[in-house]
Amino acid sequence: MLLGPSLALSAVLFVLGVAGVLIRRNAIVVFMCVELMLNAVNLSFVALARLHGVSGQIMVFFVMTVAAAEAAVGLAIILAIFRHTQSVDLANINLLKG
Amino acid sequence: MPIDLSSPSGAVLALLPELLLSLWALVVLLYVAWRHRDGYDMRTAGALSLLGYIFAVAATGWLAWRGAHAEGLSIMIALDGFRFASDALLLWIAGAVTILSVRWLIRQGILAPEYYPLLMLATVGMMLLAGSADLITLFLGLEVMSISVYILAGFDRTRRASAEAALKYFLIGAFASGFLLYGIALTYGATGQFNFELIGAQFAATPPTLMAKLGMGLILIGFAFKVAAVPFHAWAPDVYEGAPTPITAFMATGVKAAAFFALARVLAEVFPAMVALWRPVLFGLAIVTMLVGNLTALSQTSMKRMLAYSSIAHAGYLMLALWAHSDEGTAAVLVYLLAYSITTVAAFGILASIERAGARTVLLTDLEGLFAVRPFASMGLSICMLSLLGFPGTFGFIGKWLLLSAALHQGQAVLPIVAMVGSAISIGYYLPVVLAMTLKPTRTRQAHQTIRFPRPARIAVAICIFAIMLFGVWPNVVLNFASQKVVQLRQAELPTGPR
Repeated sequence: MLLGPSLALSAVLFVLGVAGVLIRRNAIVVFMCVELMLNAVNLSFVALARLHGVSGQIMVFFVMTVAAAEAAVGLAIILAIFRHTQSVDLANINLLKG
Repeated sequence: MPIDLSSPSGAVLALLPELLLSLWALVVLLYVAWRHRDGYDMRTAGALSLLGYIFAVAATGWLAWRGAHAEGLSIMIALDGFRFASDALLLWIAGAVTILSVRWLIRQGILAPEYYPLLMLATVGMMLLAGSADLITLFLGLEVMSISVYILAGFDRTRRASAEAALKYFLIGAFASGFLLYGIALTYGATGQFNFELIGAQFAATPPTLMAKLGMGLILIGFAFKVAAVPFHAWAPDVYEGAPTPITAFMATGVKAAAFFALARVLAEVFPAMVALWRPVLFGLAIVTMLVGNLTALSQTSMKRMLAYSSIAHAGYLMLALWAHSDEGTAAVLVYLLAYSITTVAAFGILASIERAGARTVLLTDLEGLFAVRPFASMGLSICMLSLLGFPGTFGFIGKWLLLSAALHQGQAVLPIVAMVGSAISIGYYLPVVLAMTLKPTRTRQAHQTIRFPRPARIAVAICIFAIMLFGVWPNVVLNFASQKVVQLRQAELPTGPR
């Protein structure tokens, strides 16, 4: 069983994803980092399914479906932004001030 | 009526409201695929979607009337009074937002009737989220809701503000889902179960491992993003300001309510054994959320931003009820969310009518002298502000009083005091709205001549205002309903001893 190393790898990937979301300023790269987070969690589910049975693997299918739907909507939104600003740099997305 | 959730027919019966609404959303989607040219098609699509909400309310009412409950384990979806009550509240919000949207969309030149099916699918997601009895359903409901609302936030895509709001909401929302999902994975890892009851039983039997604690923490972070609790709130004002105004109302009420219902259920059913761990977290979150939300709202000039910060503060108040972890707390969640959503929907309805076509928001200065020109609209908005403030005689006061007493009865005095301080601060931004409308003169002679308050929206807002006043002075119906045993969540016994 590779449970420990798998979970550790999944945690590392997840943290990389979080760091990417927080640091990178390109909307598409940020979105890729979010996908990295989701897939890191998928790795955890698959590893844990070895321990607990098949339900973890079923969850992975749901997560993949959701990630695909999110990708469709997310890229459409990024396109809509690109039409306005001719850029996908989050630094240019400043009409609304936080 | 016991329903066996492991059989297909039982599952269909238990999911009847959600299924009816999804099917009807597909029917409306099919209709708008052919008819999407002009205002008439927009209005028809809106009316058709209202029919869907009525079907779903009828199905929910039928299940509640037959006393539907799970035979054995509730698999995937809960069958209890709390779910039916929360479904009714969410459907009511969606219906009201639809009525407010119909003419508003036409006036803003947004002629895309796909808006209504999306709103219905978002509602299905909210109902699944609020009624989930399994971490898989929880995640799927959350995502169905979120993905639909990402699109709705950017629905006015020709306006840059709307597209920006959608992008911010999307990136932050997907980020938050990642945390929630990791929390689900760790909880699954610690117990080997996805079902709320089974996980709760397992945690009650064995002391939680580090993995379980981390899982709970990550799930809490995911929810804190969704309900916009400080320090996970930075997206809310921008998104609320940029989104189309009816959708802002939908996000401020429906999305927040669904997330709170789900959080209440998760805390009561999945993590009751870890109450000593999550109570301090909620305590801290509640205090900073109430204080930061109210203090930041003071300096806002845009009404939509101000209401966004006020909704952050209200999320802080609601955490008192979750902290209480009692039947009284559950009743307070229901009553407070009802009061808050009625008031917020009415306030945004009035703001939407004042908003000029193409404008991003309504400024506080835009309201000056409204009373002289539009006395009823300005009185309505004043009542909403007083209700949000928790002024005695309005429904908001009843809700706040329940929240405070739920926390007080659990021996907590600090949180109610901070909530009172927060309400006192909030006078500083709710009252200027009333004063600007009544005491200040109109800026120009043309001021307020562009207000369009179509009849359906006017009737919906009038009903809301009437409900605020009625339940404010005569709250017995609501209180009796919410304090029934059937609408409560299963609460595990608290460990006795000094808290």
